[in-house]
Parts: sequence; structure tokens; C-alpha cells
Amino acid sequence: MAAVREAEFAALQSLLRAPSRDAVRQLCQQCFSSPPAGLAALAQRVCPGLTAGPEEAEQLVFALHNLTRHVVYRGLTKAEDILSLFPENFHQNLKNLLTKIILENITAWRNEAQASQISLPRLVDMDWRVDIKTSSDSISRMAVPTCLLQLKIQEDVALCGNSPVVSALTVELSKETLDTMLEGLGRIRDQLSAVANK
Amino acid sequence: MGLLNFTREPVPEAVSGDMQNLNQLSAQQFSALTELLFCFLTEPKEVERFLTQLSDFATMNKISLGPLKNIVKSILLVPNGALKRNLSSEQVRADFIALGLSEEKASYFAEQWKVNSPTLTRLAVGQTLMINQLIDMEWKFGVTAGSSELEKVGSIFLQLKLVIKKGTQMENVYIELTLPQFYSFLHEMERVKTSLESFS
Repeated sequence: MAAVREAEFAALQSLLRAPSRDAVRQLCQQCFSSPPAGLAALAQRVCPGLTAGPEEAEQLVFALHNLTRHVVYRGLTKAEDILSLFPENFHQNLKNLLTKIILENITAWRNEAQASQISLPRLVDMDWRVDIKTSSDSISRMAVPTCLLQLKIQEDVALCGNSPVVSALTVELSKETLDTMLEGLGRIRDQLSAVANK
Repeated sequence: MGLLNFTREPVPEAVSGDMQNLNQLSAQQFSALTELLFCFLTEPKEVERFLTQLSDFATMNKISLGPLKNIVKSILLVPNGALKRNLSSEQVRADFIALGLSEEKASYFAEQWKVNSPTLTRLAVGQTLMINQLIDMEWKFGVTAGSSELEKVGSIFLQLKLVIKKGTQMENVYIELTLPQFYSFLHEMERVKTSLESFS
């Protein structure tokens, strides 16, 4: 996220016309969470609340989006670091208010960014059951236990937007397959603890 | 012919004739043929090899291949049915005798059946239908260093590739898990293992 430009800070001053601190707070959250493509629509919605023209609202919304995203990108957690982003002549009270709001939300925003980053399809849930096969066309009497594993997989969040696609995959494992799988998972666990202990 | 153990359906006409021909073989020839048959039953994919061995047997013992193949077809009816019905070696012996094979040869075959049945049963079970069978699992894990949203991340991810047999085709499924999910997955799989073991 590129650093916030001078002109954008100027646009932020429109916030001085916001009806309340809570309105500023809410606007900050909306601007952070919105993807760049949704900012224009957001600007139109906030126009009346700020008694600002459409162009002014758009500049404000973009500026706020960039500022909040920049802070999250850089991982700034200290008030001084955030305050130092603002130019010298920026309105003091507004600067303090924005810094306070950002600090309140930084952890939640960071988690949000991490949750929505690109990834392979994610495992969201798993269920299993054990069946005993008692008969089949190749052998009329048997007692073979087998495991059915259902994995609920969610496609990449970034691609789905607000309607995540979750698919269920049911897999059958024999005892031997399960043993081999557990061996593999055990090796992963050992490697993970080796990395953690370094 | 009385009731047979290995099948409920009437046996083809040719079978009694084939059994009589079998009775003509010496004990040595019969035991060699039996060995061939069980070799094939325990490795059913080796059809080429079986046919070659049969034709060698035919040549060595001066029997024509055509009738020999018919005899083999008839004999194989019994072990195939016996496998499906989990028959004991006694029942297999009784069936062969009912079909017309000599007591000596029937007892010999039943003995060989007893020796080979664990392997054959395991094979039959292995052929049982499996839905979306898991064939293979590959994995890698690493650290996310950064992203377009976060300059420094440092979170661990685990990626699994599951190779699944859907019908006749293989399908690859890729999944990503977080660390807590991985531990909970491992925990659940260990519970499954305990459950499967208690039923074995």
C-alpha cells in the first residue's frame, strides 16, 4: 500500500463536517473493509451525511481507505507512528481522533486482511463416521470397518465475495489408508514442532 | 446331483464330463494343475502368464489345450462360488465330490483351498466397492511472509493435496488448513483410528 499523499490528507479534512465521532468511526470501518471497486458506491451513500458534493465524498472515501489500509499494511501499532503519518498543518483534533479510531480497530482489521488473503480452497469443517461393510457382490459375508470422511471446503474468499461457495467432499478410507495418512500427519506435526522449537 | 454349497444355480452340463477327465490325470499332474490355478486365483491380473502356463502344461502332458481350458473353466466355478459364500474346506471338498471328482483329488484341492483362502478373501474384500477412495496424500507447509494487504505476516499454512479415485478417474483436491485446524484434524483422525481398531 503506497504511502498516503498530501492531497489525500487534504481530502480527509472533509471529516470535520461529520455529524459525530461515531459517524467518523463507522466511516473508517466501512472504508477499510470496502474493496477498491466498491468505494465509488460507498462515496455516494455517505454524501448526504457529510453535506459534501459527490466529488468531495469520493476523494474522502478513497483517502480514508488508503490511510487505513496503509497503516494495516505497515503493521503500525504505536500512536506516535500513526501520528507521524499526518502532515504538520493537519487539524490537531481530527488527527487525534483518527489515530484513536485506527488503534481501536487495528487488530480486527489485521485479522480481516489475513482472513481474506488469497489462498487455496480452505477447509472449513470436517465430519467422519465409521461403517462396517457386511456384504458385497464379491464376498457375501464380511466385517470390514471403513471410514467415511466429509470435508467441507470453501473456495477462495476473494473470488466469492459475499457468497462463499462451500463444497462437501466425501472420501472413503480403508484402515491401511488411514494408517498411512496418520503417519504423514505425524511427520507434519514433528516438523512443525521442530520449526517451533528453533 | 444333490444341493451344492458353492452355487444355487444348476451347473452347466459339461462340468461332470470335465470332472471325469480330471479324474484321468495322475496325482502329480493334478497337483501341478492345482498349483497353476491357485497361482492365478491369487494374482487374477496375470492372465497372460496363466494362459502361457496352461499351454505349457498342455504340451508337457500331451493334452489338447482346448479341452484343458474347458476343464479349467469348470474347476474355477467352485473356488469362485466358495469365495463369495465363505465356504469351509469341507464344503469345497463335498462340492467337488458331488460334481464327480474322485475323493482323493477333491481332498487335495480342499487342502490347497484352506491354505490359500486367507489371501483370496483379502483379495475379494479389496475388490469391494469404495466411494471416492483416497489414494494418496501430499502436503507442504510454509510461512506466509507477506501479502498485498499486509507487509509482514509470518503465519503458518498447511496445504494438502488429496488424490481421490472418482469412478475410474483420479481427481486432485487441494486444501489449505490453518495450524489449529491441522491439530484438530489430526486429533479427529486418531479418534477414527481407535474406532476402526476396535472393530477389527
